[in-house]
Amino acid sequence: MKPATSALAKSAAILLALASISCPAQNSPAQTSAAPATSPATPTHPAPTPPPTPFNRSVILLDPAHGGLDSGSRISESIVEKDVTLTFAFKLRSLLAARGFSVVMTRDNDAATLPGTPNTPLTLDDRAGIANHAHPVACLLLHATAAGAGVHLYSSELDATPGETFGSPWLTAQAAWVTQSQRLQKNLAQALTRANVPLVLSRASVRPVDSLTCPALVVELAPAGGDNTTLIEGGYQQHVAEVIATALVFWQNQAQPPDRPDSATPTPPVTGAQP
Amino acid sequence: MIPRHQRILFWCLFVCIVAMGVFLFLERKRARDRIGSLADATPIDAPYSNTESVTLDLASDADGSVTATTRPIALPDEIAPRARALLEHLVAEYALPGSPHPLQSGAAVDDVFLLPLPVIGHAIDTTAKPTASGGNTTIPVASTDPNALQPQTTGGELAVINLRSSFVNAHPSGVEVESLTLLSMIGTLHANLPQIEQIRFLVDGQQRETLAGHADLLRTYPSHDTTIAATVPDAP
Repeated sequence: MKPATSALAKSAAILLALASISCPAQNSPAQTSAAPATSPATPTHPAPTPPPTPFNRSVILLDPAHGGLDSGSRISESIVEKDVTLTFAFKLRSLLAARGFSVVMTRDNDAATLPGTPNTPLTLDDRAGIANHAHPVACLLLHATAAGAGVHLYSSELDATPGETFGSPWLTAQAAWVTQSQRLQKNLAQALTRANVPLVLSRASVRPVDSLTCPALVVELAPAGGDNTTLIEGGYQQHVAEVIATALVFWQNQAQPPDRPDSATPTPPVTGAQP
Repeated sequence: MIPRHQRILFWCLFVCIVAMGVFLFLERKRARDRIGSLADATPIDAPYSNTESVTLDLASDADGSVTATTRPIALPDEIAPRARALLEHLVAEYALPGSPHPLQSGAAVDDVFLLPLPVIGHAIDTTAKPTASGGNTTIPVASTDPNALQPQTTGGELAVINLRSSFVNAHPSGVEVESLTLLSMIGTLHANLPQIEQIRFLVDGQQRETLAGHADLLRTYPSHDTTIAATVPDAP
């Protein structure tokens, strides 16, 4: 009996050693590079290759900016940005859900707090973490302003990189997705133009867009004309939300993930600072 | 008939009114001269006689555009005061009535610091003797940070713009308006001071997350041409 027991123990030890060697290669780039401290534990089951698609084509992330003590900009005496963004997000969520999308929202009430911890305010990095864990096909960061008119669409100011790299810095994780974000921007812009919604397209550095690992846009809703009250009128918001929801249906099948390095030959981390 | 004493009283009051009017007119003139002389002594523009044509990248909130515009402005020769004067003139343009990107008037930039790239630190030279004043001698030390800022060309500089909190606190809030202010400043420095390669922002000497809740002030911005035409997407 003793020789058999010792052989069994030896085999188990070898298997454990093999498992410990193969585990580091299982982490996907998103998990190793662009996930905040709350990233899930490393899976223990063997997986020969990283997942082929780093996003779920039926998931959309909506981030109604501000919330709680952070009111955002003051649209008028009685309107603040956090209320407009939340109302607009609700409208967009119901329209997207009707089109078969699963919608993840970073907040769904006035207070912006971490789920399960009502006293912990939601930081910008927390919002990016929620987005990155959902692997959405599009991330829309919703803002509102009294300046200008129509809809302002912003993509990240980062320079595009050809593909994802292992260990890309948190503050530049969006770089691999900038090309896709710009395509999404173009798609939404064309849809809004067809719907006669005034449009501004540009690039901006608005946190946390640079930390998102998904096609990401900042969508800033401005008044329809010179009247700021149009921002809270259901008709105008509904019109813009319908155009965006319809455009996202087309985007669902057009989105392409960035190139990912072979897990067996990880590239060294990118050390460049933000451009 | 009006009694005589009433007529005398009337004319006395009339003379007093006229005298008071003359007195007030002279006092007003004197006060205006005094204020005018004070204003003349206040340096509005830098004391440089030669104006030159400089490019200001002016933003417009209506269409989100940034357009290069030339203005004749007298500027100092030294780079840092020149950068500060440029930014002050830029903000002064936005404070004019009818500005397409309205900002509050007043001083916006406390100072502009220029640092040669790559940014290096200093360490105390333990081998050197203390100076006559008792201080330590320092030696430049290259940064070990792999993300340290590097120049694109030899002589490239990092400009650190120290904004005043009064300007930042009064700045309108919104992604577009804040981004346009930063792009306008970056583009103006790029057009006139090409040796500036990277730009960082401080507020009263401290780091601040955003300009007014949106545009990131923590990152280092590359100095580049920021002129943006109003974009019309291609037809599908």
